Amino acid sequence: MSDTTVTSPAGTAPAGTAPAGTGAANGVSRRGLLAGGLAGAGALAITACAADPSDVSVSGGVWVARVGRAPIEPADAAWDRAAPTIVDMDVQVMVLPHRPAPLVAQIAVRALHDGETISFRLDWDDPDTHDLTVRVDDFRDACAVLLAGGEGDQGLRTMGSVDQPATLLHWKADWQRDMDLGVQGAADVYPNRSIDVYPPLISDAPRDLTPADYEAADATEWLPGLHVGNPLSASTRTACVEKLTARGFGTATTATKQNVAGRGERTSSGWRVVLAKPLRGIEADEFTLTPGHAHTCAFALWSGADQDAGGRKTPSKAALRLLLEF
Amino acid sequence: MARVKNWQLGREMSYWYPEARPKKQFAAIFDTNKCIACQTCTLACKTTWTSGRGQEYMLWNNVETKPWGSYPLAWDVRELDLLGPQHWTGDTYTGKTIFEAAPEGKKNIGWTPNDMDYAYPNRGEDEVNVTINVKRYHLKLPHDMWFFYLPRVCNHCTYPACLQACTRQSIYKRPEDGIVLVDQERCRGYRICFEACPYKKIFYNHTTRVSEKCVFCFPAVEQGYQPRCMRNCIGKIRSFGFVSTPANAREDNPIDFLVHVRKVAKPLYPQFGLEPNVYYIPPIHVSSNDFLTMLFGAGARHAIDTYRAAMEGDDPELLGALLLAVSTDRIIHRYQVTGDTVIGWAEDGEEVVRIPLKVPTIERAPFDPDLNVYRHNIT
Repeated sequence: MSDTTVTSPAGTAPAGTAPAGTGAANGVSRRGLLAGGLAGAGALAITACAADPSDVSVSGGVWVARVGRAPIEPADAAWDRAAPTIVDMDVQVMVLPHRPAPLVAQIAVRALHDGETISFRLDWDDPDTHDLTVRVDDFRDACAVLLAGGEGDQGLRTMGSVDQPATLLHWKADWQRDMDLGVQGAADVYPNRSIDVYPPLISDAPRDLTPADYEAADATEWLPGLHVGNPLSASTRTACVEKLTARGFGTATTATKQNVAGRGERTSSGWRVVLAKPLRGIEADEFTLTPGHAHTCAFALWSGADQDAGGRKTPSKAALRLLLEF
Repeated sequence: MARVKNWQLGREMSYWYPEARPKKQFAAIFDTNKCIACQTCTLACKTTWTSGRGQEYMLWNNVETKPWGSYPLAWDVRELDLLGPQHWTGDTYTGKTIFEAAPEGKKNIGWTPNDMDYAYPNRGEDEVNVTINVKRYHLKLPHDMWFFYLPRVCNHCTYPACLQACTRQSIYKRPEDGIVLVDQERCRGYRICFEACPYKKIFYNHTTRVSEKCVFCFPAVEQGYQPRCMRNCIGKIRSFGFVSTPANAREDNPIDFLVHVRKVAKPLYPQFGLEPNVYYIPPIHVSSNDFLTMLFGAGARHAIDTYRAAMEGDDPELLGALLLAVSTDRIIHRYQVTGDTVIGWAEDGEEVVRIPLKVPTIERAPFDPDLNVYRHNIT
């Protein structure tokens, strides 16, 4: 954890950040001024930012203002108090396969905390909605926040390191659809399909079995992923954000306790998604954030339209400093 | 990339991990000349492993008709199209493997099927290679018109494309027996393996949202018994055991004998570069050497000639090795032809099968006094 103490947003916010209502911070470009002004009206859209490329500043960090209650809904009025940081995005090139080009050049990141919980809101352009993973070629839209020690430590951008684990918050569009409409399956994609009986539940008339039916019948060995407790295979969804820890590429591991929240919603041009977690880590590898200190954060996007998954993603070009107001 | 030896290509090739062969590599041999596409193997597998929700479309074992059949749709011709020209110089493959032909940003060439590609598992069934016209055909070998059945399971490759593609290392090859498995706890349904496997023998479970594949019935194999699809083959086309590298081939191992000594069993699409461990005795009636080479690599015609000689009684050792197919549920590790008999032994030395090279003819009386009936067949 960093020893740097941050006490005041005005004048000390990192480059690229414009604390709402405080005007431009040091080193902020015209883009920051624009953002600060519009954020107050709750009207900033990333497309509006992209209209003037010269208005882009390379982000130095994300300022996390302290508020009375950290929001978990994308449309919460509290976000008006969060200045957007424009984060440059790039392709992941360390692990194959990777995308030929990033999904978007930039995203807008906002963050707030209330002393107990930290919330991020990520806004990005994506013309298509992909929130199913039922068909064999269905891939989801998703986004993630990486949290780790150091102060914008570039070495931790790639899912942490062996010595310094990272905590990941991963929002999945398909999980949100599961929550809203029930866990999605073949019935939702092919409503007119024929249904046969499924052993061992053969005493029932042919019907649409769900993973919960297998659990009720103590027959989960017929659903291997569910049987071994893979979170992707869960019979119910209680969150659309997953908390994971990692110590480098390929090591992302679902946290034991999922004390996270979030919500995504479509905008006219893409997604805006909130991901939230308590400041205090409760797992062995989970990172604890401290008000008044600087840490490391990074971001990533996945596009279902491009069959993104795993390392085939659009991460932030660099790790950023994450500064929490005391 | 590492340089590894792929004996099926007759050369070294590039792969994303160093060569790490298992202590023992289980393998299968399918005799295409005996397969009748009864799909008993398919059902044996289906009822054992893939009858759950989300596995409806999965056929870890399937039997398709060649040249037109495919499951998923056009799985092989799409891959071959991506691979480009494939040349053999003698027994050496001089074209590119799927790893060597990888485009920028990928480890291998590959493609992702969609649901509809799995909707026609019997596409092309029993269709011959050419359009039937008014010309009269007569029976000869090889045939002017032909088709044959191609049973398929996961090849449990020496250089698995699925394994090298997985960024989470969720797929592993067991060092004790070479069986390739997907860790159902680690898999997160990225489906990079699904894109990478040229044989398309990785399947996505739409209910559990992770990938699954043939497990070679490892619980049975661990106890010395053959996988279900092998044991239930009513055409007795399937041999199961372990295969060695050419330098370590043992003449008394029936799999080694068929693959390395007599060279009648050939890998499927060896040019992909995965060193698959399911082998095929090519169909003797197919007239197109180019087609046979495309499917089974160099030496396919030689395999056919050797096989036919055995069927004419010129090679009792080869005949004996072939007759062991589906003669016992146990896995045969050693065999010997003694006189008119072939004997197979399990790994612990127990004799598990003893069968005649030629089934004796037994004549029975036309009338059965016990049942008070006349028999239709007396031999």
